[in-house]
Amino acid sequence: MLARDLHAVTVPGPDVFSALGLDPGAVGVTYAATPRHAQVLVLAGPLPPELREAAAVAYAQMPRPRVILALGTQEFSPLPDPDVTGPASHDGLAQGLRRVRELLSRHAFSPEARAFEPAVLATRTEYTCPMHPEVVQDEPGTCPKCGMELVAREASGSSDETHHHTISHKDASAHDDHAQHEHRDDHGGHAENRTAEGATSYTCPMHPEIVQDEPGRCPECGMFLVPADSDEGAGSDTGHAPSHAHHQADSHPHDHDPDAGEVHEHGAGMDFMSMVEVTKDLPRGRDGLPMDRIDVPFGPLFPGLPGGLLLTLTLAGDVVARASARTLTGPRSALPEPGMPAARFIEHLASLDPLTPTAYRLLARRALEAASGSTPSAHQQRARLAAAERERAASHLGGLAQLARQVGLPWLERRATRFQLTLIHGDHDALALLARQSVALRTRLERTPLLAARLMHVGALSPADGLRGPVARAAGMTTDARTHDPAYAELGFEPVLHQGGDALTRLHVRLEEITRSLRLAEAAGTLTMPADFDTHAAIGDAIGDAIGDAIGDGQAVVETPRGEACLQVYLDGGLVTRARLDTPSAGHLTLLPELLTDLELGDALVAAGSLDISPWEASVS
Amino acid sequence: MSVLAPILALLLLAWCVAVLDAWMTTGRFRPLAPLTATLALVAGESLVPRKPDRLFFETAPILLLLAAVLAAAALPIAPHLVITDLATSALFVNAALAYVLVALLMAGWGPDGAYAMIGGWRFLGQTIAYSMLIVMPITAVAMRAQSLLTTDIVRSQAGLWNVLYQPLGFALFFVAAMAVSFLPPFDLPTASGELAGGVEAEYTGARRAIFRLGRTILIVSLATATTVFYLGGWLGPWLPPWLWSALKTLAVAAAMLAAGHAVPRLREAHLLAWAWKAGIPLAMLNIFLVGVLLLVIP
Amino acid sequence: MSALQLAFVTFFGLAAVWFALVVFRTSSMMRSALALLFSQTALGALFLALQAEFLGVLQIMMMATEMSIMAIFMVMFMMDPGGLGQMDMTHQKRLSIVAGVVAAAVVAVVAVLTPWGAPATSIPNPSEQLQGLGRELLGRSMLVFETAGITILTAMVAATAVAMPALQRRRER
Repeated sequence: MLARDLHAVTVPGPDVFSALGLDPGAVGVTYAATPRHAQVLVLAGPLPPELREAAAVAYAQMPRPRVILALGTQEFSPLPDPDVTGPASHDGLAQGLRRVRELLSRHAFSPEARAFEPAVLATRTEYTCPMHPEVVQDEPGTCPKCGMELVAREASGSSDETHHHTISHKDASAHDDHAQHEHRDDHGGHAENRTAEGATSYTCPMHPEIVQDEPGRCPECGMFLVPADSDEGAGSDTGHAPSHAHHQADSHPHDHDPDAGEVHEHGAGMDFMSMVEVTKDLPRGRDGLPMDRIDVPFGPLFPGLPGGLLLTLTLAGDVVARASARTLTGPRSALPEPGMPAARFIEHLASLDPLTPTAYRLLARRALEAASGSTPSAHQQRARLAAAERERAASHLGGLAQLARQVGLPWLERRATRFQLTLIHGDHDALALLARQSVALRTRLERTPLLAARLMHVGALSPADGLRGPVARAAGMTTDARTHDPAYAELGFEPVLHQGGDALTRLHVRLEEITRSLRLAEAAGTLTMPADFDTHAAIGDAIGDAIGDAIGDGQAVVETPRGEACLQVYLDGGLVTRARLDTPSAGHLTLLPELLTDLELGDALVAAGSLDISPWEASVS
Repeated sequence: MSVLAPILALLLLAWCVAVLDAWMTTGRFRPLAPLTATLALVAGESLVPRKPDRLFFETAPILLLLAAVLAAAALPIAPHLVITDLATSALFVNAALAYVLVALLMAGWGPDGAYAMIGGWRFLGQTIAYSMLIVMPITAVAMRAQSLLTTDIVRSQAGLWNVLYQPLGFALFFVAAMAVSFLPPFDLPTASGELAGGVEAEYTGARRAIFRLGRTILIVSLATATTVFYLGGWLGPWLPPWLWSALKTLAVAAAMLAAGHAVPRLREAHLLAWAWKAGIPLAMLNIFLVGVLLLVIP
Repeated sequence: MSALQLAFVTFFGLAAVWFALVVFRTSSMMRSALALLFSQTALGALFLALQAEFLGVLQIMMMATEMSIMAIFMVMFMMDPGGLGQMDMTHQKRLSIVAGVVAAAVVAVVAVLTPWGAPATSIPNPSEQLQGLGRELLGRSMLVFETAGITILTAMVAATAVAMPALQRRRER
């Protein structure tokens, strides 16, 4: 078939892909907006189990023909085995995609294609009572509380409350609301309960036209009939908070009027419930409107959000009424087994966050040196500075690309990604050029019309304890771990400070930091080789000699691109027995629910993105 | 013959616009791209969401295509190359474009998905912003032509194109046209960064092909409308009229596609505020100025 | 009226009635609103078939946007907008039936008993209709239309202004 553009769903996401040096754009593949428009699912690096489940859900949504390309991933369940595999490098990607194109054109519809039904997507039918949503059964029947027949509804197969789907569960929430609403609607029915005075007649709370002289069940809905002059009937013991309060408030006229005979004597307000009264106690959003609410998941494979972050937003219209955030990057531990040799510990810490491995490698190395009492040479310190600053610039560029994806600036996404990849693959001479180009990028961004209007006052945070890194510096807090580092002071380092604390200020802080980091890395002047080789050389792989059989504990602090990270290690005979890691993203993640409340959807996503949370860091326990 | 030729011209222009759009987005110039993309879509699987409103889900892309074609039907490419020549053609274009909104609302509600639904309702908010801005400049154009016939409107520009006579109206109409066809920066219903594709997200296969065709023809219709109302339609020396029309239409479409790449997506609140507080007074000013010019210049 | 015209008029008239029935027969708010929209579109097409071109185009254009705005209000505030629950959404059944029958009878009586005059044998072509309409709007009926227009504009501005202090009050609460 003729060559065409491929659209790919990438797991964990474009941010990790760029950090690993993979550039799908260079080989004619674009990041798909939704799995339904994609032909290939690309996995990169080792994936935690929840992220694999999310990938399975995305794969299930892709229309055939579809292909899985795995780069450096070993475990796949619940996904099927990949069609093409390769190493997690750009060459691996390019070759893999060539093979993918061949597969798509030649074996587009394989005769033994089976339906893909992962367990995570299995649904089952459960039965619930419209008036009592807490009553849930697996078979049809009647509600034990009110006698109504149970109504069928779909539920996800897993019993967790968080759904891993990237499609919304509007059905489920619609049913919940329906149960409440139905209850409210029968006000008119309630009011007409009183028909004849004196004799005890029985009526159905939901169908007031059914009147009998003896108790029983309503022929229409099966509910137990209630005495005609009783208070609320079966509806009074429900757990519907807003409508229940409304019930009580409204039933007082009934109680206090001893001559309550014909309902029409109470005036026109009784048998017609205006919308204002019916919605009196409903929760209202920022606009003051009582609207239907739906729970919508954003993530973990959402374009424009960091890969692995699941934001569940409760939307009233397009305003966020409530937000909750969690990471799907699996349980990560700073020390999976006690007694790890030092060299392995350093590599393990570097693998914790694929977005910033150098910073964590540096952190581990420093902590171990502090524990063992060894100090690095001045040359080594400068080499480390250069590697760390280079990674900082790369990370901020990745953040810029993510902002561009969110806000719809394709030129910025292309430019920032290209910069980031050049920085990762490039050598020392490229740094000077990149520093100049970053200034040009900043000027162009400042001249982009309407960008400032888009970002101003969005996600403002005032100085507080939980803030670190560029987020804190944008709010005016002078926290930067590099100010205490003599190697930085030698090169005349000064942290970037701004006032304002909103998304626009954070953008400015990060832009400025890119330029300064590149200039610092260039001034350090020690690196002559591409970044991934450099970090090993810079940090020094002869850690074993430096530490020997030391016993002690040490603490180190490193300014990662997202903020200050602190590591405490306990050494015993050259083995790490205990370690405690404190990452900036963990604190920032807890800020999200309050930050996003009452923001419009687009603003909420921009605010969440501007915090530059790394779900990998945040899930370190 | 009289209906076939304009339809073929429409399809040809849509093809060119699709190639242009792909070129601007990916940087690769592939003249056969629309054909391969359509074949790939039609040959691929057509998925239906689990519990859609089937009626809306199926009807939305067709209605979008229909609305776009009807809007183009009243616009002339050459003096006698128009599908229908109603006396109220200029208004009819706007009436047809109103159904783009209905189509997107159906596309939002149909799939029973939150992203699509939010995209659909956002487009309604966008409509409230652009609907005045697209009608009031047409009023000023009709004032100059003293007729709502699109052929008369073109002929009235024989002396001076409307883009020079009423530049304010041109600017407003251009922006409103971009908003009607939900091109960036007005792509609130199909935002990829905010709604993962929005109203277009749940369509695959043949339905998506129809949706994209409808969208491309919509862009062509709006570009043709801009050409007819402001750039003198088929008027021009040396070249045959239909070629002038085609060139101008493609130029306008290219400008519409390019304008969005430089600007981030607008916040809905801003869009509404600027459209109502700045756009409508400017449109009224435009009508006033044109009225004065018409009375003063014999 | 030619046979073709009569056929179109009948078709669009019946379509308008059918869509109007669908409005009340469906329990989905969205379908109800859009059925009303298409009922009005059918009416607009009916006007076109009756050669009232401007009126038809105007009806088609205005009703699309108006009914869509009604749709969003219905979805925002009504319960169960999807119509998936088995809820009976009707209120005051007896009153509404009586009111509906009475209104229909009044309209029928008016339609049948009004002296409309003899059917016109020839009508001006659409361009002439447009010009005549323009002259009428700015001549004899100017007062009516300008007053109506200003009143609607005032109502819009007033509604927005009324809503805003309420927002502030609620925020202070």
